[in-house]
Amino acid sequence: MRLELRDVRHVYALGTPFEVAALRGVSLGVEPGEILAIVGGTGSGKSTLIQHLNLLLEPTSGEVLVDGADARTLNRGELRRRVGLVFQFPEAALFAPTFAEDVAFAPRRMDLDEDEVESRVRDALRTLGAERLAQRSPFSLSGGERRRVAISGVLAMRPEVLVLDEPTAGLDPATREELLGVIRALRDGGGTVVFVSHELDEVAEVADRVCVLERGSIRASGKPAEVFYAEESAHAPATVRAALLLARCYPEVGRPVSFDETLATIRGVLEGSR
Amino acid sequence: MNRTLGQFYPATSPIHTLDPRAKISATALFVVGLFLVDSIAGFVFVAGALAAVVAASRIPAGPFLRFFKPVAPLVALTASFQLFFSREGEVLLSWGFVEVREGGVRLAVFLALRILLLVAAAGLLTATTAPLALADGMEDLLSPLKKMRFPAHEVAMMTSIALRFIPTLGEEAKRITTAQAARGADFSGGGLLRRARALLPILVPLTVGAFRRADELAEAMESRGYKGGEGRTRFRELRFGPRDLLAPLAAVLILAGGVVL
Amino acid sequence: MSCKNLTYSYPAADPTTVPPALDRVSFDVRAGEYVGVLGPNGGGKSTLVRLLNGLLRTDSGRVRVAGLDPAAQPFEVRERLGVLFQNPENGLVAPFVEDDVAFGLENLGVPRDRMRERVAQAIRAVGLAGYERREPHTLSGGEKQRVALAGLLAVEPEILVLDEPTSMLDAAGRREVLEHIHALKGDRTVLHVTHHLEEVLDADRVLVLNAGRLVADVAPERLISDADLLRENRLILPTTLRLALELGLSPAKLRTPEDLAAAVRGRTGKGTGVR
Repeated sequence: MRLELRDVRHVYALGTPFEVAALRGVSLGVEPGEILAIVGGTGSGKSTLIQHLNLLLEPTSGEVLVDGADARTLNRGELRRRVGLVFQFPEAALFAPTFAEDVAFAPRRMDLDEDEVESRVRDALRTLGAERLAQRSPFSLSGGERRRVAISGVLAMRPEVLVLDEPTAGLDPATREELLGVIRALRDGGGTVVFVSHELDEVAEVADRVCVLERGSIRASGKPAEVFYAEESAHAPATVRAALLLARCYPEVGRPVSFDETLATIRGVLEGSR
Repeated sequence: MNRTLGQFYPATSPIHTLDPRAKISATALFVVGLFLVDSIAGFVFVAGALAAVVAASRIPAGPFLRFFKPVAPLVALTASFQLFFSREGEVLLSWGFVEVREGGVRLAVFLALRILLLVAAAGLLTATTAPLALADGMEDLLSPLKKMRFPAHEVAMMTSIALRFIPTLGEEAKRITTAQAARGADFSGGGLLRRARALLPILVPLTVGAFRRADELAEAMESRGYKGGEGRTRFRELRFGPRDLLAPLAAVLILAGGVVL
Repeated sequence: MSCKNLTYSYPAADPTTVPPALDRVSFDVRAGEYVGVLGPNGGGKSTLVRLLNGLLRTDSGRVRVAGLDPAAQPFEVRERLGVLFQNPENGLVAPFVEDDVAFGLENLGVPRDRMRERVAQAIRAVGLAGYERREPHTLSGGEKQRVALAGLLAVEPEILVLDEPTSMLDAAGRREVLEHIHALKGDRTVLHVTHHLEEVLDADRVLVLNAGRLVADVAPERLISDADLLRENRLILPTTLRLALELGLSPAKLRTPEDLAAAVRGRTGKGTGVR
């Protein structure tokens, strides 16, 4: 499934004195089977942007295309099943008496029989490493565990594209790593993942493509190395910042982005100088 | 985003700058006195005087008239009750066993006027006084009641906290609603019962979240040394000047006029 | 502050199946020290914070803060020990910034004129001059935490306890808040509970709490070089440090990628040059 935004503009409260342009002509493609990271801080329009991917919000002008067809012509329920959206701090929306029931909420709305619903719930919880929590109540347990369950709730719809808004916000570093692993596993299993993040080090480890959003417009977009090395700012992943500095003396450092790549090239530099 | 909370209409006017305690007492006096006015001339005078005050507050007619919307059906209902079921005075009209008598007309009109003027006065108060100022004013006016064990400070603190969190909870409700919509929740359509059930995925997390918030807030308050109203000073100031006395004074005068006429 | 054999179990937990939230924890903090507290979730860090300021009462063991027992004299302790909590939203009580900063002073019965001065000072100290009449819901996460911090500073406590103050903030907010927290170093005693190792690398000491036990009380450098200790306690080094350690470079004084680059150049002999 390929998603595309073409020159999308979104203005809140159009025509009133409180008018705010959140997106100013954004064009973006989401390719099947990739992990796309959208980097942008508060006020960049990232939340507005991702809500266009499943048409929870409609563009004021411009188009949203699903495999080339205008998304507005598609059945909304169907679209929201195929493009699953997980908001920031999703555990705030848990409501059922047990985790299993909460995760079953979405698949039950899909007119599937009970066995199918149960099996999807199990699979989704297993993917997030949370199957032993199935019968627990959402109103106890730590934020990290509730987060896993909330994400399972969307995965249970078996979406083709999973969109996550700051999935690791507020989590401790070990849980973050685990979640990033889940994202990789989803992509390796054939899914497409779009995730919004301001943690550049995480983006460096996981993204296939990066898109930088600033004040409603796309500032840069492309492969991580292209985007991060073109950014002349202190806001690049730690690996890139180190490599940029070393590249001045050692051009052979190249343009590594992930931890392993960076480690390898710097090691090469150190060994080469012996 | 709409910055006005509830019915408060920010504007610069002499009414807005009056001390809230003066305005609250004036409104209270006015409302009580309304039930003493008993003539058409009196009501006309009172209504005219109130209209003058409303004009002085620089609140435009549009927003002000909106205060009456929710009350209109109530007024219509109670007035018609009086109109059709009163047994005073001569009969003016009749169909079958329904009679409209002179006494009924008078009662209906007076009742309607009283309710409308009451709403107008209350509306004027909330439109010209910021919610926090209202809470402070109420706390001060009710504080003598502390001797009678009335929790004036606690009520004021609760009001202030509620005002602080209303926009926050509003945003939270919106976020939860969108999150559930993304999972296929449908909030439109269906009968009353179905719609009510559909709200559960919003109300439950919102309520649970609110309790969690309250817990954390209580911890934060206690950690900052909160121990109730004893020995507490207040950062915000309410300054009462001679000008502020005009408000309750004016209320009394208007009523005197209304009763006399 | 000092804790001796501090033990605590939450009342709702079944003592036969659930281990105590804190188990015989003992440590001392001297005046003016900056101490980090690390450890996995559920390890007891938040419980410790609440025992220090009297929100919870110990089951056994002893706690002393500025010579006082928080369980016996909580209000006196709270005048001297301020806590900055994790959730920026739920720490703000009042509808306006300056009213919130004044909250602690109101509780202490400080007269109004003195309050105005101290509130203004505290707001300036966190770089929020001009924000006095802003409403909390219009602020960013970083700004909210700074307001909360101002509220604590206005009371002028000797001790500040920070309970994961940046974990719910975005990168920009985290930077803002850390800047102001690190500026406090040396002025007061600070206990900084966090997940993010990089925030306490310059602390005088770090305590590691896991499953209610105090498993380490060491200088940050010692912690960084102990891979087992890190792994057992689910602690992850920041990228720059991990690179340094893998490359065999000394982690001492190595914080930013710039430091890393300099260390590499130092090793290869191209020490001087364009930075």
